Parts: sequence; C-alpha cells; structure tokens
Amino acid sequence: MQKTETGKFSWRNFLTQNIYIFSAVIVVGAFYIINPSFLSLYSIQNITREMAPLLPMACGIGFVLYSGCIDLSIGAVASAACVITGLYITDAGQWMIILMLIFGVLIGIFNGALVSKIKLPSFIVTLCAQSIYRAVAIILSGGGSKNIGLKQRYLVNWMSEIVLGLPLMFWISLAIVLICVIIERNTALGKSIFAIGANEKAARLAGVDTVKVKTMAFVLCAVGAAIGGLMYAYKLKSSVPAIGDDKFMMAISSVALGGTLFSGGRGSALRTLIGVITVISIASGMNMAGVDPLWNNVVFGIVLIAAVAINSEKGGRDLIIK
Amino acid sequence: MNNEILFTTNNIGKVYGVNTVLQGINIEIRRGEVIGLIGENGAGKSTLLKIIAGVETPSTGTMEMNGKPFKPFSMIDANHQGVGMVFQEQSLISNLTVAQNIYLGREKDFSTAGLVNWGKMNAKAREVLDTMGLKDISPKAKIRDITFAMRQMVEITKVLDIVSETANDRALILLDEPTTVLSDSEMAVLFEKVRQMKERGNSVIFISHRLQEVLEITDRIYVFKDGHQTAEVKTEGADEYLLYEKMVGRETNGEYYVSGRQTVPTKDVVLEVENLSMFGSFKDVSFKLYKGEVLGLCGVEGSGKEDVCAVISGDMASTSGILKIGGKPVKFASPSDARKAGILSVPKDRRDEGIIGILSISENVSVSNYKRNAKYGLISNIRQDSNARKWVNELSIKCVGVSQRISNLSGGNAQKVIFARVLDSECPILILDHPTRGVDIGAKGDIYSLIRDITEKGFSVLLMGDTLDECLGVASRVIVMKDGLVCGEFDCPADNKPAQVDVVRLML
Amino acid sequence: MTMRNLSNILGQMAVPLTLATGLTFVLLIGRIDLSVEGVMGLVGSSIALLVLNSRNANDYGVLGVIIPIIVGLIFGLITGILHVKLRIATFIITYATGTIAAGIAVLLYHSQPATAKAQWIIDASQASFLNIPLITWIAILFFAVCCIILNYTAFGRAVYAIGDNEAAAKASGINVTKVTIQVFVLSSFAASLAGVLALIRLKLGQVSLGTDQMFPCITALVVGGTSLAGGKGGMLQTMVGTLIYMELLNFLTIIQVPADYKKAILGIIIIVAVALTLTRDRKTIAK
Repeated sequence: MQKTETGKFSWRNFLTQNIYIFSAVIVVGAFYIINPSFLSLYSIQNITREMAPLLPMACGIGFVLYSGCIDLSIGAVASAACVITGLYITDAGQWMIILMLIFGVLIGIFNGALVSKIKLPSFIVTLCAQSIYRAVAIILSGGGSKNIGLKQRYLVNWMSEIVLGLPLMFWISLAIVLICVIIERNTALGKSIFAIGANEKAARLAGVDTVKVKTMAFVLCAVGAAIGGLMYAYKLKSSVPAIGDDKFMMAISSVALGGTLFSGGRGSALRTLIGVITVISIASGMNMAGVDPLWNNVVFGIVLIAAVAINSEKGGRDLIIK
Repeated sequence: MNNEILFTTNNIGKVYGVNTVLQGINIEIRRGEVIGLIGENGAGKSTLLKIIAGVETPSTGTMEMNGKPFKPFSMIDANHQGVGMVFQEQSLISNLTVAQNIYLGREKDFSTAGLVNWGKMNAKAREVLDTMGLKDISPKAKIRDITFAMRQMVEITKVLDIVSETANDRALILLDEPTTVLSDSEMAVLFEKVRQMKERGNSVIFISHRLQEVLEITDRIYVFKDGHQTAEVKTEGADEYLLYEKMVGRETNGEYYVSGRQTVPTKDVVLEVENLSMFGSFKDVSFKLYKGEVLGLCGVEGSGKEDVCAVISGDMASTSGILKIGGKPVKFASPSDARKAGILSVPKDRRDEGIIGILSISENVSVSNYKRNAKYGLISNIRQDSNARKWVNELSIKCVGVSQRISNLSGGNAQKVIFARVLDSECPILILDHPTRGVDIGAKGDIYSLIRDITEKGFSVLLMGDTLDECLGVASRVIVMKDGLVCGEFDCPADNKPAQVDVVRLML
Repeated sequence: MTMRNLSNILGQMAVPLTLATGLTFVLLIGRIDLSVEGVMGLVGSSIALLVLNSRNANDYGVLGVIIPIIVGLIFGLITGILHVKLRIATFIITYATGTIAAGIAVLLYHSQPATAKAQWIIDASQASFLNIPLITWIAILFFAVCCIILNYTAFGRAVYAIGDNEAAAKASGINVTKVTIQVFVLSSFAASLAGVLALIRLKLGQVSLGTDQMFPCITALVVGGTSLAGGKGGMLQTMVGTLIYMELLNFLTIIQVPADYKKAILGIIIIVAVALTLTRDRKTIAK
C-alpha cells in the first residue's frame, strides 16, 4: 500500500492503487449474483477463451502507454493478422505463427520509427496507419468473413483444446503475460520504456536511446496485436476482417482498469490481466444477462473514461495536456 | 517626486518544499527610480520579481504599493494595481499582430456586438507605439515577422499600456534580463525608453547579468546572495569591480571546496576538442581534458559554455569541429551515443531533466547502466536494489528506502541520487552542469568531497560552477569563455587559486 | 466535367467543409476531436427517427431536429469539461465519447435504417441555388460565420493565443479553461450540423452516416497547412484544404481507385503532410 508524501493514509490513494482488484471483484461478484452460472466451469472456459486473444493485445499496448504514447491501430493490425492467418494457414501451416510475429515486428517498426525518429505525434501516425492496415484486411478478405475449410480445421483446433480445465490458448496467453512481466521488470528495455514515459528528457540525458526504446515499445505492441489477431483466427476458425474494430476499446479499457498511467511511466501486465478479466466479464456477463451486445461500446466508453480519470496523476496540475 | 515612496517589501521570503530560496527581503522603491537587482544565478532575484508581479505568492512578509497593502492574487491583478513584468522568455503570441498582442485579453474595448473593430484597435496601438517612440513598428505586423528586439519593445509597450490603464504614471515595471538578446543599438533604444518612463514618474526594477548596463541605467542597486539581500549600493560612484565584490562576498577558503584533496592532473588526454563550433552560439572552441582533472568552464550566461557542454554530451549538434576521445574522433547523435563512448552529464535543471520523478531511487540510480545488474540479459531487481542501497550509504542519501519515489527527496538528496547514477554508469568523463544548484550548504560540501573522490579514482570532470567562486575552488584548471569564444585559461592549483577579479575581467 | 458532376461534387463538399470548419478551432488550440464521427452519426440518425419516417410514428417537426442537436452539444460540453477538469488527453477522451455516441446510435437502430419522409427534408435535398445544392450553401454560411468568429472576435484571438503559447495566453488574462470547453462545444455543433446535412443529402437515417467522415477532414486540414501542434492555420487554409481534398477525391474516383484503398491513401497523405509541416530538432519529444 502506497503512503502519501506526508506518510498519512489516504483513501484516495488506497482506492487508486487498488482499483483494478476492486473493479474485478465487483464486476465478477455482481454477475455471479445476477446469474450464479456465471462462475460455472463451462462459463469460465468460455470467458477464458474470450480473454485469450485480448490479453496479448492489451499487454502489448501497455508498453506503448508506459512510454507515454498511444497506438490506435492495434484493432486494425489484429484484423489484418486474423484475415491473413485465416486465408493462408492452409498454405503456411504453423509457420503462420512465425509469419505473424514478423508481420507484427514490421508494423511496429513502421509505427515506431515515425513516432520516435520522424517525431510525429503517435495518435496521428497510428490513426492513419490504422486505415492502411484495415484496407489490407478488407482488400485481402474481399470484405467478408471466410471459414477455414473443414479439412484444414485440424491446423487450428489444437489451440482450443482444453488443458487442465481451461483452453490451451488461454495458457498460451498467460505465458505471454508472464513474458511481458519479465520484460517490464527484468530487462533494460522494459525499464527504459518506463523511464521514457516518466520523464523523456531526463531519460534521454541519462543516456537512454529514446529512438530505439520507443520504437521497440511500438514493436512489442504490434506483435501483441498480431498474436491477438492470429488467435482470433484460431478461435473463430475463420478470417474476420471486422474482428479488430471494437478491440482497441476493449484492450485500452483493460489497461486503464489495470491502473496504467496514460501519461506514461507506470503500469504492469499483471494488473492488465486483471483489467482484461474485468472487461471480458462485463462483456460476457452482459451477454449472459441478455443485454444487447450493442451496448458494449457505450459501456466500455464510460468504463474507459472513468478508469483513466481515476488513475490520472493529479500532481502535475500545471502541465498542459493536449 | 524622488522622495515619494512607491513600493516597499517587508521581510519577504519564499520556501519551495524544503528549500528556502528567498529570505528577509526589505526593499524600497521611490517614484521615478530605476532599481537594479544583481546577484549570481539562484540568488533569488527572479523569484522576488515573480512575487512582486503576482506570479508567485510569498511564503512570508508583506508588500505595500502607494502606502496601501499590495497582495496580488494573479498577474492580471498585479497589472490592475500598477505592477507589470516583462519576462525573460517572451510571452507574445507569434501568430498574432502587434496590436492584437498589445490588447490580447482586452479586446472588449474595441468591440461592438462582440465583433472587434481591428481598425480602431490598430489606430489605438499606433498611438501607444508612437508615445513609446516606436514609429518603425507597424501595429499590423505579425510578431513572428519582427526582430527579437522589436518584440521586446512590443512586450514592454504592452505591459506599460496595461499598467497605465490604472496606474497613471505611478507604475512599477519589472524587467527580468531584457537585454540578453539585444544588440548594443537596440539596448540603447530600450534604455532611452526606460529613461522616458522614469521621467514620467514610473519606477523600474531591472535585472541583468551585465553589470555595465546596471551601472548605466540604474539609480540604486540591491545585491542578492543565496536568497538574502546582502548590500545596497548607490549607482553614482560605483564600478563593476565594487559590484562584483559585493556579489561574490568574501572569497571562501580552500577548505570549503576540499582543496586539500585536489588532484594534480596526469598527462593522459581523455577528451580533445578541436575547433568546435555551433552556428549562432560558439566558435572555434579547443581544449584538452586530462585524466583525473576538474576542468572548469567560466563565463556569463549566454557565453556559449552551456552549448559546448551540450554538444559534448550529445544533447545538441555542432556545426563543425572535431571531438576526440582517447585520440579517436567521435560523433554523437544523441546522449545515448555519448554515454556509450564514456561521457555522461549531471543536468542543470534537476527537476525537469535530472530526476525521473515518479520512479524509485533504485530505478533512478540504475537508468544509465541497467546492464550492470543483469545476468544473461535479465536484470535482478534484488541486485539492483542492493546496488542502489550501496550508493545510498556511500553518498549518505537521506531516504526511507531505495523504493521511495525520488520526487519525495529534498534537492540535495535528489542530486546525490543523480550523482550515484552517473558514477554507477562508470563513464570516465562526467559533465557537471551546476551540480550544486538549489542544494543546501551541507549537501554542497558532500558534493565537493564527492568530486574529489571521483577525480582520485581517475575520472575526469568538466564543470560549470554555480558561482565563479565554486568554479575556481573546485577546478584544477579553468577556461574562460565570452561571447562564444574562449578568451583565457587559468591554472588553479590547490595552493594558488587565481583571483576572481582577474577571471571576471576576461568574462565581462 | 459536366454541370451535374460539379453540382454533385459541391453536394459532397457540404459535410467535409462543415466538419473541417469545426475541427479547425480544435486543431488551432492544439487539441484533437476524434468524436466528430460518432456525434455526427448520432445526431443525423436520431433526427431521422424523430421526424416523419419509415420506422416509427414519430413526427416532432422542428423539435425533432433541435433535440438531437442539443444532445450533440452536450457531448461536446462533456468532452470539454472532462478534458480540462480531469486533465485527460483529448485523443483518448474524444475517442471514448465518440465511441459512446456511435454506440448509442447503433442501439437506436439495430441495423435497420430509417428513411426520412418529412416533406422539408425531401424539399431541402432537392433545393439548389445557382446550381449549388442548398446543403452546400448552409455549409458555406456556417463557414462564413466561423470565419467571422475566428477573425473578428476576442474568442478567435484567444484560440490562436492558446494554440501558440498557452502559458502566455493565461498570463494575458484569457480563461483557457472556458475557451477550450467552448471550442469543443463548437466542434460538436459542427458535427451535429454535418449530421443534419448528411441526413438531408441521403434522406436515410443510419449510424454509418458519420462513418469515415473524420479522416477526410483531417486530411483537408493538414493538407491546407493547419498544424497539429496548434496556433497555425485558419479558415482560408481550411477552405483550400477542403477544395484540394475534393479534387483529390474526384481524381481517385476518376482513376477508379476502390473505396478501401482511398482511406489508406488518405492516411499516407496525412502522415506525409504532417511530417513535412512539423518543425522539430534533436530535442523534440513526440508523444
């Protein structure tokens, strides 16, 4: 528990520090009360299956947010990855996984270099990049979803197998979260990302290679989005060009619920994991309670604003935030 | 008119967190008087002006204007009470015209039904500019299209116009280093205006690093040192050296700077600078830095010494010249390149460029050399913390623990963390940019002995001192810069430091 | 180019010009408003549900237009207040409010568009003067009013001042908080008006009314030379930018570029235009 500067206990701080736990408990608890089958094994398997592709996306965009930037293009990257995977897995087989990792790296370098090297604002770069990746998804797919042929289903089915009670793809995502935690806590790259987000000027003068580190943050983000898209293809067994459309909102709401500071410098993949649990629980819970899924965007919009507001650093009153 | 008191301060003081930056200031300004404020960097002059201008509120003390209590709650409020300030960084909007800038925020006077009559505004601005004698400036010109000096004049015109709305030639105008960017002829124009304002009964407070100017324009001078007001001098009969003596006070003895442990530099050249130039800042700077020495760079602000260091640390690009480390030419695209080549700096603006505020002490120490605590590419946070703890003990940093946020530390302790960072990086060449700025006396002493430790271990230091006294006291050799050129060099052996006046003579 | 073709292009211009006019203010103070698409879609489509239409029995006449516009303004107000009071960056707050607005619009429709049958909408869609459609005249009128606001009012000066040097603007006594909120309200009004114009043009109320409308505007603005960093730009630039954009769109249509490529091309154009107009050096920090 964090104490304030004066050493006194503050409810505000306590709440802010632990909001991610509270929100998860409240959301899961509320849906359990409304519908006790919310926590049945079947339901939990479903929820974890929904969580699996979102986790790498949320953890990935986390890195960009830690560095103080934003990546609006992750949904479009996921769409493109999902389409490519669904359409060509019959040719590429499991090499697709490697291909998607490379796809993510290339996109990350493109986005990251424009921000770090050419010094364009990240929101405009990724807003524009989004339209490019979305065009890729739509053009390749011809605009509609395409199922993976029944004969080739064996290529993707393995990821949905139940292992130790939960879908394999969830365990894979958990492993990815673990890798993100290690990057954050135990690598120079991760620590440098936080340093840049907290104070870029100081980090630069302390000898951190800001161009390289920032680019890498975007690479991690795009790779996360590409893995997410790949997993959607495996999960849905088809290529869906619209799959990423609402995923940016869900991913960023998860990260915000996890207490990540949107001005940069603070956050963690473990907390994002809890945020993803909350977000998917909201989506699944509303679904089970019979609420129209079209409400999702409205709800996540409000959740996002509330979470960002609670977490924003109140110290820098004089800072001009645009 | 000259005996009527316009403005007084009583025991004004200012405390930021744990640092006292201003204490017990009692000044008195008569109508039609031009007052100079002089003192070294960080002496508190600008803080006092900001308090008078309503930008900052004083921690202690009161002020009086025209015999009535003066307690502005904002700059605008101070303006309405007859006090206006012209800032060091100009506050004009470059995309608007001269007239629009003068009347920014006051467009109502020229509006009918919400629409501004630009013709009327321009005519009024023309009038005001004319009374200031600025016939060459068109009210319709955009600020970005006129020279820097003219902008300064527009700024002064604006402030004066706002203030005279209410003050009626009983205004107090505050000028914070208005001449830094002006050429001699532009300065003459400015001084002419100051004299005109003065003749009409307004008073002026003037801050400048150039003592010559202070002597030329002022009637009386207050000298500041370390947040205290240390002397009051009548301009008549004073000269630069008298002022300088008052500014630096007594010369401190060698013990203060731990001169006993000053190293005698070796003959190994670690860094060589050859004809380094940066367009618009400095030209043909050449020097050598030897192993184990502290090389001081002296010069007034704007002499180019800051930019020389910025180029060496990779923060800025030079336009020509060669930098050699260990005899090999190097080129830095960023501070990161410089760090890899073995150069790291302690920045001047600690809060903005030094500390990484929301991160822990441990992270702040290790940011320049994460790899030190890593095995197979993975950092051990236990090792990182224990390494930070080692530095906390070694530099006696006062903190709750190494996981404490650095922003909660006092200036001196935060600065020691930055020192721990640069030492932990194992870079053999350190650039110390005002390492004792905003640091209390005790911590200053610690930093001086730390510099001795560093050089004893064979590190080399490029130092820009907070005061000349410090620079001479700590350095084993100093280079003097003026107007972007190197104009002198002094050896500063521990037992035979050069006299400050000799160095000052070259600086001014 | 035939007269009919020209008239068509001018008709297409109404919406981008209106949105771009509102966004000009936002960009001038150095902010961004990503919510315009959502607000536009919500306002346009809900009007279609409140006037005489094919989906329900509503016929509120003028109120059916005013109420949605007020809702649109409230979105702008909330965005502005959240931004200045909670100090959340505008791209994230407007992304969220835009998503909420679009989400509400989706809920209203459940993917069944409503055809507007109110006589005034039908009349307005066919009306033209000097061969220029009425909606374009409305957009031009709005543009002209905004020209006056930007160039002849204290508010306009304050907008430039905030974008150029926020601290100095504050020091000059400008209420930055108030002006910023006003700018977002103005932008949401532009979005609402654009919604009305789009509805008149298509006579069809659907959520996608606002879809893909913001991108052309940002293209128009940055191509016209308005800086994303604030302080640089103006109504003339916005008009020039919009005309260039319309020309470009026309060109892309003539050489038969598919719609999906168009957006990607616009994206590249924006990046290049921003890269060319941004000033930067070693120390610049991009976030």
